[in-house]
Amino acid sequence: MTRPPIEVDHVSKEFGRFRALDDVSLAVPRGSVLGLLGHNGAGKTTLVNILSTLSPPTSGTARVAGYDVVRESRSVCSRIGLTGQFAAVDEQLSGLDNLVLIARLLGAGKRAATRRAEELLQLFELTEAAKRPARSYSGGMRRRLDLAASLVGRPDVIFLDEPTTGLDPSSRMGLWQIVETLVDDGTTVLLTTQYLDEADRLADSITVLSSGKVIASGTAEELKAEVGQRTASATLADPADAERALSALTAHGLNPVHDQERHVVSAPVDSSRELAVVVRALDEAGVEVDGLGLGEPTLDDVYLTLTGHSTGSAVRSEERKNT
Amino acid sequence: MTTTVHAPPTTPESTEPERGNWHGANFPTQIVVLTGRSLRAMLKDPQIVVFSLLHPLIMLTLFSQVFGKALMGSIAAQTDSYINYLMPAILVTTGIGAALQSGVGLVTDMKNGVIGRFRALPIRMGSVLIARSLADLFRTALQLVILLLAATALFGFSPEGGLAGTVSAWLLALLVSWSLAWVFLAIASWVRKEEVMQSIGFVAMFPLMFASSAFVPLDALPGWLRVVARVNPLTYAVDASRDLCLALPVGAGVWSAVGTSVMLLAIGAAFAVRGFRRPL
Ligand SMILES: Nc1ncnc2c1ncn2[C@@H]1O[C@H](COP(=O)(O)OP(=O)(O)O)[C@@H](O)[C@H]1O
Ligand SMILES: [Mg+2]
Repeated sequence: MTRPPIEVDHVSKEFGRFRALDDVSLAVPRGSVLGLLGHNGAGKTTLVNILSTLSPPTSGTARVAGYDVVRESRSVCSRIGLTGQFAAVDEQLSGLDNLVLIARLLGAGKRAATRRAEELLQLFELTEAAKRPARSYSGGMRRRLDLAASLVGRPDVIFLDEPTTGLDPSSRMGLWQIVETLVDDGTTVLLTTQYLDEADRLADSITVLSSGKVIASGTAEELKAEVGQRTASATLADPADAERALSALTAHGLNPVHDQERHVVSAPVDSSRELAVVVRALDEAGVEVDGLGLGEPTLDDVYLTLTGHSTGSAVRSEERKNT
Repeated sequence: MTTTVHAPPTTPESTEPERGNWHGANFPTQIVVLTGRSLRAMLKDPQIVVFSLLHPLIMLTLFSQVFGKALMGSIAAQTDSYINYLMPAILVTTGIGAALQSGVGLVTDMKNGVIGRFRALPIRMGSVLIARSLADLFRTALQLVILLLAATALFGFSPEGGLAGTVSAWLLALLVSWSLAWVFLAIASWVRKEEVMQSIGFVAMFPLMFASSAFVPLDALPGWLRVVARVNPLTYAVDASRDLCLALPVGAGVWSAVGTSVMLLAIGAAFAVRGFRRPL
């Protein structure tokens, strides 16, 4: 098979008169990771649902592992793993029983099912909790069990819908490592996320979705180059210096913003050389600084650059500026 | 976590599938595995069985105290103790309550994502429904047996129909319960809202239970209630159960109860499977 394992061709999805996906096309080559990046409501889950045969597209076609998701859904189902946005584990069953159940439904015999389940429990460091009901698991353990459940049948393609939302940083890293291992093994992954750093870390290419439309696609580097700007921010030692800091930075041709709650003055900069400008400007103005940082562009910055208007937290910082 | 997820599939003793080698269990296996899952959950958490027995036990206690003496006259033609009169009805109403729980349980499963996972597996959705109805039927059968034992031991239940009559009434109650379970599964798969399922129980079932021959004979009901009770299908199911249990002449009542149940079951199942297949 030479076709890419995930092919989406002019797919649209309407809920009544509302268009959740608008003419989306993309392809993911074998053994690579596509990061589907977008805010809440962008249409990420809708696309994942279509690709995992849970709901049909209103128009357009999609093929997964070479099979049409509508006409050959059963063939698709036996080649994919799905980890939905909300962990889908049976709370009453133990971790072991959850995995054995999936293996048996996939067609494994009792012994093979148990062996596969134990292997996955070990890999996901759940062996100790194997016999406990899943309702006693922590959020991170549940996520791991959920991911393990989607890997039982050794799928060619896996879909991960916001796999790290709500996880603590160390569980997040653990999950990233697992995904990397899978990819090394030739699995094709489509991962949705709201975080640019996550897409940056895991994805070979990124597709940005906004209101159901693809507004950009490329590698993380390409996207960041397009956004260009990073944010330099300085935490003021004395909050009373804010006015002085702002005017010093403005005098150096920057466009600073003041966050009154955190006593931070920040400004978009084009290169790290401009960070030096910030330092010098503050120093010359005699503003004492507690901390200095250069922030990576966020999804908001990408949105702002690509669509010309901002969403979410970017809006909040606009509001702060006005008050 | 640096081990690889997939051991090389070439290892001779490896039982793991090569990629995509497991293409889904056959239909009977799906049903057996899924039914087993629900039963296992029930055994691990027998609270539910015990808890759902409280309601019928309270009704037994309460009604036998409240109506026991007062109604002796009007039921004398059928049996010589109120508990014998009441128990066949409790079998049916408990079965119906369990049927409603079947529907509620399906909605809960749809909400918590378990059904979503099943949907992305190469299995038939019908087997998920069949398995649920079978597991619930099993649970109901167990509940009714416990109820019968409790009624015999604690309240002196000893119907004229003897063991054979009691077993036939038990079977009839299970059939009624199973057929209504499919009706509620159908409603659940189309409506998919917990609140709606709960309010069906409260708004529709509760009054129907009292406007029937379940607890008092029709003649003892006030006029307008008697009219409602006469067209209430529950009256016919309860009467049929009573005929069997109390060794009354078994007439067309039992057969029409069986026929109606089978019909409801077929219609319910058809709508349930169709509704359940609709995308989330
Ligand atoms: N079943 C549905 N019926 C109606 N609208 C829906 C349904 N599912 C999703 N939507 C709408 O489609 C849009 C995209 O949703 P979703 O794909 O869940 O976004 P994301 O996963 O990116 O947060 C949202 O505005 C959501 O309200
Ligand atoms: Mg989503």
